[in-house]
Amino acid sequence: MFAYAVRRILIGLAMLVVMTLITFLLFMNNTTASVLASCGKNCQPEQKAIIAKTLGYDDPVYVQWGKFLKGVVAGRNFPDDPALVADHPELVAHCPAPCLGYSFKNSNFVWDVMKDAMWVSISIAVVAFAIWIIIGVLLGIIAALKRGTWIDKVIVGVTLVIFAFPTFFIGQLLYVFLAIKTGWFAIPSYTPIADGGVFTWLGGVILPAITLAVFYMAGYVRMTRAFVLETSTEDYIRTAQAKGLSARAVIGKHTFRAALTPIVTMAGMDLALVLGGAPITESVFNFNGLGKLAVTATREFDLPINIGIVVFLSAFVILANVVVDIAYAFIDPRVSVK
Amino acid sequence: MTKYRKTLAVVAAAAMGVTGLAACGGGGGGSADGAKTLHYLTFRPTEHWDPQRMYIGRDLADSSRLFYRSLVSFPVSEDPTTSVTPVPDLATDTGKASNKGKTWKFTLKDGVKWEDGKPVTCEDVKYGISRTFDLQTGGSGALTGGPNYILGYIDAPDFKGPYKADAKGQAQFDKAVVCDGATITFNFKKGWNDLPLAIASLRSFDPYRKDKDQGDKSNYQIFSNGPYKLDGAWVKEKGGTFVKNTEWDASTDTVRKQLVDKIVFTEGITNELVAQRLIASNGDDAYAVTDRSIPPSIYAQVTGDAAKRATLVDSPFTGYLLPNFKRMTNPQVRKALMLSTDRDGWAAALGGEKSAKPSSSIVNPAVAGYAPNPAFADMGNYDMAKKTLKAAGKMGYPIIFTFSGGSPTSQKAAAALKQGWEKGGFKVSLNELTDTYYTEVQKPNLKTDVVWGGWGADWPSISTVIPPLFDSRLNISKTSNGQDYGNFVDPKANKMFDAANAAPLEEQPAMWAAVDKYLGEQTAYIPLDVTQFYMMHGSKVTNYMQTAASNMYPDLGAIGVE
Amino acid sequence: MSQSGPETTAAIESSADEVVPEAIRGRSPRELALIRFRRDKGSMISLGVVLLFLFVAVISPVLTKLKVFKPYTTNFPLLDIENGAIPKGNWGGISWAHPLGLTPGTGTDVLSRLMLGMTYSITIALLSAVLTVALGTALGIIAGTSGGWIDAIIGRIIDMTLSFPQTLMLLSLSSTLTVTLEQMGVPKGNFARGTYLILVLAVFGWPSFARIVRGQVLSLREREFVEAAHVFGASRWRIYFKEMLPNLWAPILVYFTLTMPAYVSAEAALSFLGVGVKTPTPTLGNTLSDSVNYYGSDLVYFFVPAVVLAAVVVSFNLLGDGLRDALDPKADR
Repeated sequence: MFAYAVRRILIGLAMLVVMTLITFLLFMNNTTASVLASCGKNCQPEQKAIIAKTLGYDDPVYVQWGKFLKGVVAGRNFPDDPALVADHPELVAHCPAPCLGYSFKNSNFVWDVMKDAMWVSISIAVVAFAIWIIIGVLLGIIAALKRGTWIDKVIVGVTLVIFAFPTFFIGQLLYVFLAIKTGWFAIPSYTPIADGGVFTWLGGVILPAITLAVFYMAGYVRMTRAFVLETSTEDYIRTAQAKGLSARAVIGKHTFRAALTPIVTMAGMDLALVLGGAPITESVFNFNGLGKLAVTATREFDLPINIGIVVFLSAFVILANVVVDIAYAFIDPRVSVK
Repeated sequence: MTKYRKTLAVVAAAAMGVTGLAACGGGGGGSADGAKTLHYLTFRPTEHWDPQRMYIGRDLADSSRLFYRSLVSFPVSEDPTTSVTPVPDLATDTGKASNKGKTWKFTLKDGVKWEDGKPVTCEDVKYGISRTFDLQTGGSGALTGGPNYILGYIDAPDFKGPYKADAKGQAQFDKAVVCDGATITFNFKKGWNDLPLAIASLRSFDPYRKDKDQGDKSNYQIFSNGPYKLDGAWVKEKGGTFVKNTEWDASTDTVRKQLVDKIVFTEGITNELVAQRLIASNGDDAYAVTDRSIPPSIYAQVTGDAAKRATLVDSPFTGYLLPNFKRMTNPQVRKALMLSTDRDGWAAALGGEKSAKPSSSIVNPAVAGYAPNPAFADMGNYDMAKKTLKAAGKMGYPIIFTFSGGSPTSQKAAAALKQGWEKGGFKVSLNELTDTYYTEVQKPNLKTDVVWGGWGADWPSISTVIPPLFDSRLNISKTSNGQDYGNFVDPKANKMFDAANAAPLEEQPAMWAAVDKYLGEQTAYIPLDVTQFYMMHGSKVTNYMQTAASNMYPDLGAIGVE
Repeated sequence: MSQSGPETTAAIESSADEVVPEAIRGRSPRELALIRFRRDKGSMISLGVVLLFLFVAVISPVLTKLKVFKPYTTNFPLLDIENGAIPKGNWGGISWAHPLGLTPGTGTDVLSRLMLGMTYSITIALLSAVLTVALGTALGIIAGTSGGWIDAIIGRIIDMTLSFPQTLMLLSLSSTLTVTLEQMGVPKGNFARGTYLILVLAVFGWPSFARIVRGQVLSLREREFVEAAHVFGASRWRIYFKEMLPNLWAPILVYFTLTMPAYVSAEAALSFLGVGVKTPTPTLGNTLSDSVNYYGSDLVYFFVPAVVLAAVVVSFNLLGDGLRDALDPKADR
């Protein structure tokens, strides 16, 4: 049992290290553009050399990777220049562990930039999640109950068609027609709950959240519908019906509960996915979440930000897997034997 | 079933409630809390607020109007000449030049304070200027991005900026820039006659407080000595809010006013949505201005009231072509290329008069000394082009045209040029580059015959247009041709540049016009267009103007709100 | 990301347990599935539409070569240049010569651009889906059949790949990896960008399918025919691909059909973010990310590309659903 946990943790750590190495190899194989993007209008070769050094790209990739890992464990200085630390300590930014790097495009630590962005992404994700779960499951149940009728067909058909339109199309449509042209909704913008209260926050994120939600909704409608239909043919449901229980009781007590488990499992996975940022929705609505941060960083060749986001999100998934595996092992000891 | 219906109704009601509240929250307008607020909507994030690192026309102008005062500045005026004639700002006059422009003296006014109440001193100005030297090899590499003209005028080859200075370098710099009480003296190694124009246009001569300097970390920190100061932090891609600076004293400042209480910058909104929002002009957007041109996809919506709020002005940017002198060595072939260049077709393809206007010089009409270049009078004469090419014995001459593409607009513009050249007897292939455009065109041995380029003057003088683009001594190195994409190397032209730069300011325009004419005769470039600014502002913005002083962007020194 | 959306994977997994239905006397499972599929009207219609789209994708380049189609020819005289170069007339420039109107800005024919765009979009999606399924099948079979440390390593690779944030990787690697591809000799520009899309979609797409295949293989492994092959001394590779593969065609077919529309959507989404094939070469994605800006001035152009893209995605999705239902009788109501 304990041995299993240790082994699982060790494997997890090894995966983390390999993952960061892969990330570095992928992103750092070409840094020319990144240097140019920092160089300004009169970019001469000497300038490029200076900037490459400032950005740390003059080291081989594995050295940069090593420095990154060291930063995660022990923190690091930017710029990493001992002479400057001695002469002008005020110029040197010390990035405390766990340090994910320094973005010269934001003049800030990668982690500090990401931290602000994360709350934006979480806001959209949570509201979108609430919308798609509530409406998606409701519509799914209605469709199942009205199986074969036009209501069923309309629900399934409409969600399927909306799903087929790209997010940026739906988002632009909502933004222009619901916020700008008609003024029914406020111009979407992110106001933290601490600054403007729950309603201002919700009013600001509602359109991006709807945009994101309609994309996921179709899946939930179809799945809920399928599970409700499937379980309603199960023997115990038939028994309940035979016992003379009302349709409502059967659905509420039995069918829905049985269908719930797989939906919750899927919902958990999807929520984790959207928490990592929604680049398109965030770009359309100009929300500075992790997704838009990545879009901007890509446009500006801000490699430290790109690497930071990828490493952070992947590490999150890897660690979550380790935790879940160990938790399962505790609950069900047979797992560790296997 | 009813249960579900009820739930649905509740959900719907909740959603409606949110909607209603949201609409209320947004409806407050520019004076929601009683404060007069001007909004600035844009897509493009500011890269640097560090005065010595700024190099974007919009940011240079905005910061000058709001929070960075310079020795001299441009006044607020719609008159194109007044607008670019420097007036005293931090200094008591516009500077005293002697020794053929090699020595300049400025004396600082009394009573100008930083936002913490401390006076702006000569040492602050000197420290600010020293920061540009961080760009020299051996500098810390933190202060990238800004203009580096001063490095060519101050004889301090060993000075590596304030962070990496050694005694030797510091001594060189101290000799060149001298503070004596409130008077700062520059001792240049060559004459700099239009120095006041440079000071007023760029921010690299602005004072900087040494105790506030944190290298790259202070890139987005703004330490104001003007009428507004940053409230809270500036966040890239998001923006920031400026409020009145109580330490600013109007009696020391003839240029700026505190017309509004607050100015809120919002970055990251796409050009299309900026235009949409300003056309609708609802809520806060009625109090908003932008630096973004209306994209062609929105033109058709600019009608009625919105049309009255749309402005169309010449931008400071020009587009042009550079023949590659390494490959197109025959002057007659270059001439034929110029004659068969369809600049009208090019401008039409870019979107017509709201996007681009055909031009007759690489110099923008807003720059002092601009004159239509007679060498290009016959452009678009395909018969003449054909004759010229035939006379040179080069009919069917194959050319490769390299341009920055990736959008339908740029492609159709390139297609228009191709058509013209083919009428003139050339065989044309297109080399469309997107992300790699800037890296590729700077390669000295790029396989291309003609390259597209775009430029805007750094200050309203031809000395910031022609030499940066055609002086081979500034541009050409082994690995790069700098901005001289056509690999133009001409000692005679270089001599003319030096002579014009050294001449007294009044004589310069005529001399530069002669230089331009000479370049035209060599077909060193082919003019295409003056980029147009077609902008929109909210309905409750007052005294709206776009001036030459603010690089034809909205002039925040003039604009107020109702 | 739009690809392998929640319902695809979930649906596959549920069908995977039931892929080889118990044979009913006289009819093979394949025949039964075919009968079920034919009986379903929706599936047959979506099959027809999908075949039509595929046909369009095949003939468009031919028609372009023959100059029947002119997707690259500009028509400036038909545009209102001073008004943002939108087509003259009320309906986005619709006429007999241009049944779906003209592209604002260039005046190119929208119908021919969409048809040729279908060729490029479907080609990208198809190649990528083939690679995805091929990689997923091969590695899934190897992992499932071999077991032991090979299985463990493949399992870790799958975990690792799935741990990367897919959309962000596709987006942020685009610029550097495209340049790298070009340096490796892939023709510059759109060819390299297209290649990037195909490869990277597949690289991040295969692991989910490999998991499904592995699960299938584990259950097949215990069957008599595999044991028989073992007894007869069949080589490992023979067991992998001669014995296992024929029993996996159902999940492969279903997964492939559902991956196609996901990749078509992905191409569009990435186009909006500036990744992938750029104009003048048309794709459904780059046409749509241009057209979304015309909501105010040219509604025909605003809606037409979006509707065409949605039609492609819906028809493939319905076909995939129909196939799954046919191959998995239990899910059939």
